[in-house]
Order: sequence, then structure tokens, then C-alpha cells
Amino acid sequence: MTAIPLHFELPENLTATKFLKKLAKKIEVEITSQQYTIKSFYDSFDWRLYGADIVCEFNHSRITSQLNLINRKTGELIAQEKMQDIPAFSKDFPKGRLKTLLEQKLEMRALLPICQLPYEAYCINILNKDRKIVLRLQIDEHEFLTNTINLLPLKGYEKATKSISYLMKNIFCLKPIDSTVINSALKQQKRKAKDYSSKLTIKLKPEMPADEASIVIYRHLLQAMKVNEAGTIADTDSEFLHDFRVAVRRTRSGFSQIKNTLPAEVISQHADFFAWLGQITGLTRDMDVYLLSYKNYQQALPLSLREDIAPLQAFLKQKQQAAQKELAKKLKSPEYIKQLMAWEHYLNQPLPKKSKESNAKMSIKALADQRIWKVYIRLLKEANAISESTPAEALHDLRKTCKKLRYLMEFFQNLYPADEIKSLLKALKGFQTVLGDFQDYEVQELKIKQFSEEMMDNKTPSNTLLAMGVLVQYLDSMRCAARKDFAKQFALFKQAENKAVFKKLFAHKA
Amino acid sequence: MKIIATYNIKGGVGKTSTAVNLAYIAAENGYKTLVWDLDPQGASSYYFRVKPKIKGGSKKLIAGDRGLDGLIKATDFENLDLLPADFSFRNLDLVLDARKKPTQRLKKLLAPLAKEYDFIFLDCPPNISLLSESVFEASDILLSPIIPTTLSLRTLEQLKKYIKDSKLKHIQLIPFFSMADKRKKMHREIIESLAESHPDILETVIPYASDIERMGWERMPLGGYIKRGRSHDAYQALWQEIIRRTL
Ligand SMILES: Nc1ncnc2c1ncn2[C@@H]1O[C@H](COP(=O)(O)OP(=O)(O)OP(=O)(O)O)[C@@H](O)[C@H]1O
Ligand SMILES: [Mg+2]
Repeated sequence: MTAIPLHFELPENLTATKFLKKLAKKIEVEITSQQYTIKSFYDSFDWRLYGADIVCEFNHSRITSQLNLINRKTGELIAQEKMQDIPAFSKDFPKGRLKTLLEQKLEMRALLPICQLPYEAYCINILNKDRKIVLRLQIDEHEFLTNTINLLPLKGYEKATKSISYLMKNIFCLKPIDSTVINSALKQQKRKAKDYSSKLTIKLKPEMPADEASIVIYRHLLQAMKVNEAGTIADTDSEFLHDFRVAVRRTRSGFSQIKNTLPAEVISQHADFFAWLGQITGLTRDMDVYLLSYKNYQQALPLSLREDIAPLQAFLKQKQQAAQKELAKKLKSPEYIKQLMAWEHYLNQPLPKKSKESNAKMSIKALADQRIWKVYIRLLKEANAISESTPAEALHDLRKTCKKLRYLMEFFQNLYPADEIKSLLKALKGFQTVLGDFQDYEVQELKIKQFSEEMMDNKTPSNTLLAMGVLVQYLDSMRCAARKDFAKQFALFKQAENKAVFKKLFAHKA
Repeated sequence: MKIIATYNIKGGVGKTSTAVNLAYIAAENGYKTLVWDLDPQGASSYYFRVKPKIKGGSKKLIAGDRGLDGLIKATDFENLDLLPADFSFRNLDLVLDARKKPTQRLKKLLAPLAKEYDFIFLDCPPNISLLSESVFEASDILLSPIIPTTLSLRTLEQLKKYIKDSKLKHIQLIPFFSMADKRKKMHREIIESLAESHPDILETVIPYASDIERMGWERMPLGGYIKRGRSHDAYQALWQEIIRRTL
């Protein structure tokens, strides 16, 4: 069964009033309201709702304001709620369907206004002979887009929907359109959906000289930094800083892993700046992580202590805000702007025809093969050397090696068959998780201990400190569990199938 | 999901008015709400202007092969749906009796709707029958309107005893005064004296009011044509009190 078209476009010169006159000659209609309405589309910065085929629209008029979640593919209304203001975070929504859905999709990301569309909304009821509503219509008279008519079906009255849809299509000869105008609204503002994603998609050609490819990669990363800078300074949500830091780390990893392509003196000139960026963003990110983990911390406690941990959250918030303020100041400083512009300036310079760097004119594919294979072999060697008694340091070093491999594979992802490199990245990610957990739990354990010492001085209730003690114990048990899990996760990663793909993709020329 | 049955052994005490008006308020407060009109007379279907007719009648319905979802009709109000009555419901008892576990039947039929609705109101016909037993099994709350007369109080006691004897522990019986006429001395006295002896009866009293009677003429819930006033406030207060008691 093909879906019944529910959304139509009115021809350019046909106003809502004129159309309604024509419609009233055919069926009994009741115009219930005519309102100037502003439709604002909302999503997270990285389009999590749109990515899940959800359109979030806030319709605001003098008489009513309502937030709707709509299935982008079918036009079906998934959840709705009357509200005056839209909270930035899903956790601050009133309890209900809408909140549950938003929490699932958005997690820690803020819900931001994307674009607006003013229109005159005509609401019309179609009645049966008992004067019961069997279908609702809405005509949207847009200022800049063509006018649309939308059928809003009512459960149990499918026949009416079908016959009115038929009327629109075949008698009035209206053109069926997409269920949502979000894409038209974006286009009008010269934007496109999903114009930001934290995932890297760098388009490289295999035969590109390595120095040229490096520039493309660094430009991409610089762009990511610039795009996330304002949100980081404003602390819109914690992901801006996270993505900003990832771009910084990737750039630094590029400096050390894609060596001898750009002039060494240029790299060393900028490396300090990126090291500094890594350092000044660290504290705020750490605090963000603790705050994001807070819910888990609470869950880890016995019921009788869950309320007592609250002062820790307040303490973390305070620290986060202080660190954030410092960070914002630095990201607005002339020094930062100067250095960033210098880097951008360099990336926009034409490259010299000749270079004394040994890898500069090598094809990027050959260099990528070589680098990934080398780091992969190093990773195996380091991991193979780890036994149950190996000190933690070695695992931390291995984690760094994993990150290097991961970044390399992500930079060069599109030089390789998508499904194969994706499956390797997935395997690597799984392995990284256990190493990450091991180190993160260790750091958190130490930090919580340190916080409790600091908090002891500001008259913190003894039960809070007790709860933090229990938390430390929990973190310790999680760390131990991760350590135990290491051997299994490594075995999974180094299994023959993965190795064969690594070999096939990267080793043939080595 | 909470299932609320409006029930009384006696007829004409305000069961349907209560179900329809409270469902309207729940829906207005953002809860996805369904009214199931179990009375062959189809009074609540009438209030929502929905034809009291379902495909296949009570037999198909109780067989439950197609589920209830396809029989549900949207009302004219947001978040508020109706499962209409059918004339064949007058033999619902017989249809139920022909099944294996007749009293579990309604509960089973309603289970799949839990995802979709926050509240389901069952508008029941009067008297105790196999259908009412099935309703008791399915419901979380038995909301019982009582007219402040000595006779109605006796029926309330009967109902309490019945619930106790049948070991229906999951159910919360909530009685309240309905169609109370301030001008009648007996109504006033009964309400006053019972407030103390029966703390389970809700404080809110639904007055006898021409506004409420008008529903039959307007063919919509009270809130559809009246936005303020004594009757309106009484139903709002009733809903708030129920929420406080049960959530
Ligand atoms: N508070 C009230 N004030 C005045 N009239 C009322 C009130 N409540 C209900 N009525 C009227 O009394 C009649 C019976 O009410 P209702 O249908 O709600 O009772 P019921 O218990 O569902 O009846 P039945 O047992 O027939 O199903 C209806 O005509 C209704 O309009
Ligand atoms: Mg009734």
C-alpha cells in the first residue's frame, strides 16, 4: 500500500482565502482560527534529531505555543507539548513523552534554534453530519515559500483522509510535497541540514601529494575548531569543547604521525600553540566529564546515600564554572586569535612545487598505508607485551598508541573501502574502550579522593564524604574489572579476521 | 498507564459524566487518554459525536484477534481518543461467559494499549455482572460517584464488601459525591456527617448543575463549552484530588 499524500503545495497565485472559497463549494468546512505563527526549528548542533528522522518545531502564536516532534519521513506527530519557553537541555523539560524522547536522542547536547519561518496559519475542520471533526486541515501561507496545505488525519477516520487527499490531488490538481518544510526553510537561509558532524569526512584522492593532503586535513581540523569555538566560549553544552579538543588533539597527532610532509620549522612553530590549547582546555573538560558522570556516580551508591552525594555536584559545578571562565578568557585573548590566524594563514598559502621534506611529494595513499601499518604493528607489539602483572603505565602508553592509529585511520578513511575500514575502526574502538575505562576510572578515583580532601575544609557533611568513599570503592572495582577485561578485548581485536583486513588494506606495499 | 473505571451498581448517578469530563481534563493536561464506552446505550460515544458502532460487534471485540487499536476513534480534542460502544454490548456478559477466563479478558485486551495511553477510562453500565468483574480485574482505580442519599450509601457499603470478599487487592476504590444538591437538607447533612466517618470519600463534591446537564445538548465534555464556573472548577478539583491520592 502506498501512503496517502497528506501535504500539498498551492499554486503561486492561490491565496488561502481563495482556496478556501473553492473548497467550501465541495465540502463542509469550518474555519476555526487564523493566526500569525512563527515556526522555529530546533535541533542539537550536530543534528541528532534530524539524524534520527525527527523534526522538532516550535509553533508560537499569540494564542498558543506548542512544541511538536514529527517523523520527518511520514509526517506523523510523535509527541507534542504546550509550552512557552524551550529549555536548553532535555533534563529540564517537564516529565512526559516529549522529555523521554528528547533525552534519548540529545543526551548532553543543548537544543538550539536552527531557523525560523513566519507564516499565517489557517486551521480548518472538516465535519460529518453529526458535526464531528473527521479531518483537520492547515493552510500555511508563507511569506517567502510557496503556500502549503496539510492534512492532519484523525485516528479512526481514515476514509475521510483518503477522500480529501483524493480531492486535493485529482480535483484541485495540487502537487504533493514533503511532509516538512524544514529543508526549504534552511535553503532560504543558505544552510543545509547536517552541515555539522563531529565525525571526520575528509575527501582525499589517493594520488594526491602528501603535503597537499596534509593541508586538506589540517584545514578540516581548523574548521572544526572554528565552528566549535563560539559554543565553547559560551559553554552552550559540553560537546563544543569536546569537539574543539578532539580537533586540537587530531592536529597534534597529525604533526607527529604524518611526518616530513610539511616543513619541519613550520610544524615546530605551531606545535607549541596546539600543545598550549590542549593544556588550557583540560581542566574544564575534566570537570565536564565528572558532571556528566554524576548520574552514574549517584546510581553506584546504595539508596541510603544517594541524596548525600549532592554537595559533590555543587562542588563540581563551581569548579567547572571557574575553569570555564578562565578558558573563555584565553580563547578570546589576542594571543590566541593571533596564533590561530597565523596557522590559518599558513594553510591558505600555496605550497612550493619542490620540498626538501622527504615525504612531501609521495602519494598520500602510499604514505597512509605505510603509517597505519607501522602504528598497527607497534600497537600489537606493545599489547602483546602486557601480562597480568604489567604496571598500569604500559596500558596508558598503549592507549596513546591506539589513539594515534585511530586518528590516522580516520584521516585517511575515504582512501579505503568503506565497509572494511569501518569494521576495523569499530574493532579498534571496542579495544580502546577498555583501555579508556581503565585509565579514566583510575584518574577519577584519585580525583574524587582529592576533591574530598578539598571539600573537607568547607564544612561538608560527613555523610557526603562517606558517600564519596563508597564512590571511590566503586570506581576502584570498575578499574579492576576493566583491567581484567583487557586480555579478552585484546584477543578480540587481534583476531585473525581483523589482522587479515589490516594486512589487505595497508600492508601490501610495505 | 492507569486504568480508571467509573462504576456504581446504581444507574444514573453520573458515571458517564465523570468519565467524559475527567478524561477531557487529563487530555488537556497533556496525558494521552482513552475512554472506552462499555455501555450498550453508548452515552459517552454520544457525547463525543462518535457513532456507537464497532466492526464485528462484541464477539469480534472480545475475541481480540485484531486488537483494540483499529477500533479507536480520535475525538475532537487533542490527546483524547474513544473506543465506541456497540449495541451488541448488551450481550457482553454472554460473550464473556463463553470464554475460558472471562474475568481476565478485558485486562488482556487492554494490555497492548499501555504504551499508547497514560490514562484509560472505562465507562461502565450499572450493576454487578460478569462484565463488571472483568472491569474490576482490569482497573487500577474504581471511581464511584454516589448521590448523597442513605440508599446510595448502602450500595457503597455493598460494593466495598464485594471488593473485599473477592480479594481484589490491586484495586483502589475512590468514592465521591455526585449530583449533590445544596438546596436539599438531606444532601447537606449526609455530606457533612460522612466527611468524618468515611475519610475515603473525596472532599470534592460535584454539584447538581444545569451546566452539566447541558452536555447532552452540546454533545461534548463540559470543558468543550465552559471554561470557568462552579461545575468546571468542581471537575478540575476532583481530578487534582484523584491525582494526589493515586500517583
Ligand atoms: N452533576 C450533575 N448535575 C446535573 N445533572 C447531571 C449531573 N451529572 C449527571 N447529570 C445528568 O444525569 C443524567 C445521568 O448522568 P450520567 O449519564 O452521567 O450517569 P450514569 O451513571 O452514567 O448513568 P447510566 O447508569 O444510565 O449509565 C444525565 O442526563 C446527565 O446529564
Ligand atoms: Mg452511563
